[in-house]
Amino acid sequence: MMFEKLKVGFHRLGSPPTFYRLCRRLSPWFWAGFALCAVIGLYQALYVVPPDYQQSDSFRILYVHVPAAWQALFGYVLMSILAAIALIWRIRTTEILTMMCAPVGAACTFICLATGSLWGQPMWGTWWAWDARLTSMLVLLFIYLGIMGLYSAFDDRRKGARVACILVLVGLVNIPIIHFSVDWWTTLHQGATINLFGESKMHPSMLPPLIWMAVAVKLMFTAVMLDRSANELVDQDRRKNWVRKMIGDYA
Amino acid sequence: MIPQFEYAVFVWTSYGVFATVVIWQFLQPVLRRRRLLAELREEAALQSGVEQ
Amino acid sequence: MSVGSTLLALLLRDLRLAVRHGGESLMPLIFLFAVIILVPLGVGPGPNLLAAIAPGMIWVAALLSSLLALENLFRPDLEDGTLEQWCLTSAPVTALVVTRLFSHWLITGVPVILVAPLAAEMLYLPDRALGTLLLSLVIGTPILTLVGGLAAALTLGTNRGSVLLSILVFPLIVPVLIFATSAVSAAADGFETGANLGLLAALLVLALTLVPLAVSAALRLNIE
Repeated sequence: MMFEKLKVGFHRLGSPPTFYRLCRRLSPWFWAGFALCAVIGLYQALYVVPPDYQQSDSFRILYVHVPAAWQALFGYVLMSILAAIALIWRIRTTEILTMMCAPVGAACTFICLATGSLWGQPMWGTWWAWDARLTSMLVLLFIYLGIMGLYSAFDDRRKGARVACILVLVGLVNIPIIHFSVDWWTTLHQGATINLFGESKMHPSMLPPLIWMAVAVKLMFTAVMLDRSANELVDQDRRKNWVRKMIGDYA
Repeated sequence: MIPQFEYAVFVWTSYGVFATVVIWQFLQPVLRRRRLLAELREEAALQSGVEQ
Repeated sequence: MSVGSTLLALLLRDLRLAVRHGGESLMPLIFLFAVIILVPLGVGPGPNLLAAIAPGMIWVAALLSSLLALENLFRPDLEDGTLEQWCLTSAPVTALVVTRLFSHWLITGVPVILVAPLAAEMLYLPDRALGTLLLSLVIGTPILTLVGGLAAALTLGTNRGSVLLSILVFPLIVPVLIFATSAVSAAADGFETGANLGLLAALLVLALTLVPLAVSAALRLNIE
């Protein structure tokens, strides 16, 4: 019975007006959640956690650098799953959702690279190094930008979205390279300290702000994705009745 | 680590970059939505104006 | 027509066209030498510096020149309707794609391999690295063709494809560049090259299995 309801609900998501309403309704909640987690995380990151033994206060950059890096990777994986769904089942709302992951993912990658440079300068005396981790993250940024560029280069948005989805799936090869780059090559960037399923090498007192900020960035990603998708849907459906009605309600 | 280095600037700039990007990601959809609705309302007004 | 004869016909047609447009087909090669010549003009003629950057510069020149010929990989066939015929023949589109990319490699990649010794001499690449350079090009230029073909297929439906095409190729080609130039640099310094060349070969296998599928999917999308 529940399963039937879920199936119908899922199919309804393919309908643009339903999807639009859902995006508009959910987005404020995600923004609120982001604000809450960010406030807690930032407070803990900047005031509660004591200065590091080796890196004194500059290590606090970690609390924006790492969540952004994680989100850049997770975001791409999410985008790939959506891209596969969009290509296989040709659901237009999924195509839009996939394409709207790219700008936010690019933003997270940018934050990761910028804060990484700002951390590297006091730490190792260099803004940049062409090692495996940094180079592959830069490549990821260009893949995101390429996806955005390819999508916008098509006059027919649906065709553009589907072609860009192919590119998304091809670029998926880069993700394992980024993740394992610190293991496969000797790099300037440090190795993995946090493990999802096991002992983490970071001291427990330093962990909570990281979790709060990671959750915050995820919520922000989702919120922005929903916001952008809603706009894109209205833009694509300008001539349709449901948009006309909506404008009528606003006029 | 380089001793006697002023870290504060870097830390605050990093958080500033984060804040700027997030604020922009929040604002861009808002601004685009306003522009879209204005455009569509104008189109609708033009159309109904022409019809009359 | 059987599948085999269809593919052979396509291959021969591409080669015949390339020969007829002789000058046009040689443009990428001329561009390669233009880049190679600009390098000592830009960084100075010192043999030690040139020898140090020779592996990278030859590969960058090969990459840039491969981008030149990509615009016309599929576009003429899209415009005159041949691509739709591709979808209608008995031969699988993937096989036709592989044939087209193979002929493209013969036309653009093989000449690069043939002139590589000359380019190596111009940049003072140590002789002991020449074999590795040629091997890296033999393994790597097909990857350039494959990735370039993918980018060409993806941007087929756009109006201003060429710059976007280059931007799409670049992130995907970075691992190839890194492994190839590491292998040649290692050979120049007298070290082992097996690991890098092996990884390069692995990339070729990966590209060979994935790219034709992606290209045929992209072509089908862009024909609509």
